[in-house]
Amino acid sequence: MVALILGHVVLATLLVLARARVGRSAFAIGAVGPAATLVYAAAVLPDVLDGGSRTANISWVPSLDLGFDLRLDAYGTVFLLVIGTAGVAIFLHATRYFAGTAKAASFAATMTLFAGAMTGIVVSDHLLSVFVFWELTTITSYLLIGYSDHLARARSAALHAALVTGAGGLALLGGLVLLARESGTYLISELDGSLAAGPVTNTAFALILIGAVTKSAQFPFHGWLPGAMAAPTPASAFLHSATMVKAGIFLVGKLGFIAVAVMDWWFPAVATIGFITMALGGWAALRQTDLKLLLAYGTVSQLGFLFALVGSGDRNLAFGGLALLVAHAAFKASLFMTVGAIDKLTGTRDVRLLSGLARSQPALFWTAIAATASMAAFPLTFGFAAKEAVFDGLLGLGPVFITVATIASILTVAYSIRFLVGAFGPNEPDTDPATAPPGTPWGLLAPASALALLGVALGLFPTLPKKLIDLAGDSNPGALDVKLAVWPGFVPALGFSLASLALGAILALTPRLIGPISGSTQITPQADALFASAVRRLISTADRISGIIQNGSLPAYLGTILIVAVGLPLTALWRIEGLAVPAPGSAIELLIAAVIVVATVGLMVVRRRFAAIILLGAVGYGLAGLFLVLGGPDLAITQLLVETLVIGLFALVLRRLPAGFERFRLQPVRLAVAVSVAVFVFGLGLGFGAAEPDSTVSDGYLERSVPEAAGQNVVNVILVDFRGLDTLGEITVLAVAAIGSAGLVLPIIRSRREEA
Amino acid sequence: MNRERPSAILDAGITVASGPILVFSLYLLAAGHNQPGGGFAGGLVAGVAILLAWTGGGIELVRRIVPLRSSALMGTGLLISTVTALIPLMLDLGFLESGYIEIALPAIGEIKLVSAVLFDIGVYLLVVGMSLGLVRALGEPRRAETEEAS
Repeated sequence: MVALILGHVVLATLLVLARARVGRSAFAIGAVGPAATLVYAAAVLPDVLDGGSRTANISWVPSLDLGFDLRLDAYGTVFLLVIGTAGVAIFLHATRYFAGTAKAASFAATMTLFAGAMTGIVVSDHLLSVFVFWELTTITSYLLIGYSDHLARARSAALHAALVTGAGGLALLGGLVLLARESGTYLISELDGSLAAGPVTNTAFALILIGAVTKSAQFPFHGWLPGAMAAPTPASAFLHSATMVKAGIFLVGKLGFIAVAVMDWWFPAVATIGFITMALGGWAALRQTDLKLLLAYGTVSQLGFLFALVGSGDRNLAFGGLALLVAHAAFKASLFMTVGAIDKLTGTRDVRLLSGLARSQPALFWTAIAATASMAAFPLTFGFAAKEAVFDGLLGLGPVFITVATIASILTVAYSIRFLVGAFGPNEPDTDPATAPPGTPWGLLAPASALALLGVALGLFPTLPKKLIDLAGDSNPGALDVKLAVWPGFVPALGFSLASLALGAILALTPRLIGPISGSTQITPQADALFASAVRRLISTADRISGIIQNGSLPAYLGTILIVAVGLPLTALWRIEGLAVPAPGSAIELLIAAVIVVATVGLMVVRRRFAAIILLGAVGYGLAGLFLVLGGPDLAITQLLVETLVIGLFALVLRRLPAGFERFRLQPVRLAVAVSVAVFVFGLGLGFGAAEPDSTVSDGYLERSVPEAAGQNVVNVILVDFRGLDTLGEITVLAVAAIGSAGLVLPIIRSRREEA
Repeated sequence: MNRERPSAILDAGITVASGPILVFSLYLLAAGHNQPGGGFAGGLVAGVAILLAWTGGGIELVRRIVPLRSSALMGTGLLISTVTALIPLMLDLGFLESGYIEIALPAIGEIKLVSAVLFDIGVYLLVVGMSLGLVRALGEPRRAETEEAS
């Protein structure tokens, strides 16, 4: 499994490195990735069907209990097979689709990486590695959606998807960490229904649900998916049939049975979200004129259904849902590829322009018929078998569920018919039709046909996948009492299926019922605008706040720092035990102190900048002298060097400044700040003098320095070993400050020179 | 060239001195674990040497003595320190936990190589890079100087 995931990374790297050489075979090479996934899944299948599972552990950061813990069970195998099968077909389709495109190789690399990340999610057993792979799909999908980066539409669609799924990813991370803390394990296989109920568990699952909802484009976060149709069609086919959006479903399915066992709000929440999404998506799909958008809304609708079923934690619903998920991956990928082929052949996806394709592209037409039949759950397809199982399961739950599901199915049938008629039917006579030369290129057609045929084949032999799907859902409690059969017999569920087909056909063929075809890209036209304005407002608010906090006035910054430095410790004033009058120091100490005092006073009265710097240096050197006298050679050396360097750097700056200061004006506020700092620091010194020194920390360091860190200079050992993390933080700040100041200074100097 | 105080002797002296000062900075780095010094102090000494070089021969001399980019130095330093801090984690030890090996050398005697010194080397490089960056940025020739030079 590890090799499988790493293999994707290696493959993607090779594609990028050899992008000039691979030319049009980039996707064919990339197909090795999903093909390997498929082969691997097939290889473990016998084992998995016997109830076994494969695990792999790579210890990574053992002291933090971090590792790659991979585990493949029946549930994961279903997803692996889906990813692998759809992946191989889509990569092969893309080979022809992208033939002669300059950026094909890097796009193939990104898609391979994406396939690897998706595989990673499915086989992860560690909650955190689920998250890592989850975010990898977010990042790679951003690149895939934004492939046409010269189009503002593609860029903003990619950003929209990345922002929504990225924000959801953060929620997911929070949820996973809370879940792990509450349950005491990061391993999914160790989680069970014995989790304690309580606010932490509730919050954890609510956050996880938000993550899954955003990823699977569920209401109210569905808006990014139709926008993501800006991606090249093969990418859409992969992302929205078999992978990206299935990640959320994978997660709710994996954790659903635990959530249901602990919280009674989980099933109503998942069902409500799923069913709303399903109905809205189905209705919107009916009203599209762009074939790809029609499929996109159809996907939103189907995902809603799958989300509610697979995440339900119910044995029968999960079974039906997983079967439907397999069917969906096959027919949706096939249909997306069909649209891609139509787009390639005619240059449009608009149903108002397409005409006569049934006659010129018969093979593509029959492919679409087979795939659409499965989508509409027409008998003898796998979609039908799956939906029968779902209806059967829903019947046991009461009238509300079956009613909503039937309405959604009617809509599905209607938009399936509209898809077929719109893409292949004759056009209205008054527009200039877009036609294509007869014959569909083999490379575009064959993968789509293969998946469509797979949908029919599984429909004729539904017992083949039954065992695996059954095992995949067996973490959910209860016994399975729905069937997966070619013909269910005359049962109540059949009535709902047939009614959906009949009513859907009537709806599709009665334009009056659908209302005006808007061709709008949004279910609610405002959704896109709302999102855009929310992002705009966020940025402008951030702008305003930065304007207040970072106002660019040095006295204001300094004043704020000093006031906080004085004010905050004042709250701990009650701990001071009294003020001590210090004992007079030795002669040398007094001498150095005198130098410091004189230099400080001088600093305030001199008028020339250069003199001020020399005096400031004298103060610093004086302090270094005090450190030395008091027995801190390391401190003294550092102080001395810093002082020297600073004087030198000041001198460099001075070359560009006027020689003297501006006229001195007394400003009451600044005076007050200065005086309070002086009083505070002086008082603090006296207060510290009175306190009993607590030497446990320093004694501890002194004792441990040689045996533990093998160093005699305890100051340095503290810096690089005991308190090394502090040092790491400090040098990072130092680097940032140096880069920042050089970046500020250089452009100013250079622009001034150019002006001259 | 720094034209503000033209003095051939000063310039030559400074140029000669900056080399040994750089060596001294390396000594401080190496000695730091047992005697006063360390990566930070060593780096600062090197910074002073760079500053001196600027005073003697301007930006050109600085470029000759340290022919590296300041950002590369800082980046390398930060990388070394961070990696040194992280490696113990992979060996199932604490963050930044240090180890040492003792080596007996024929003429010098027994010395201890402490992994924390690697961390200190990172600090050293970063501080040198910081000084170099600031001297380079602030020490850009002024308008009058460039006109003079051209």
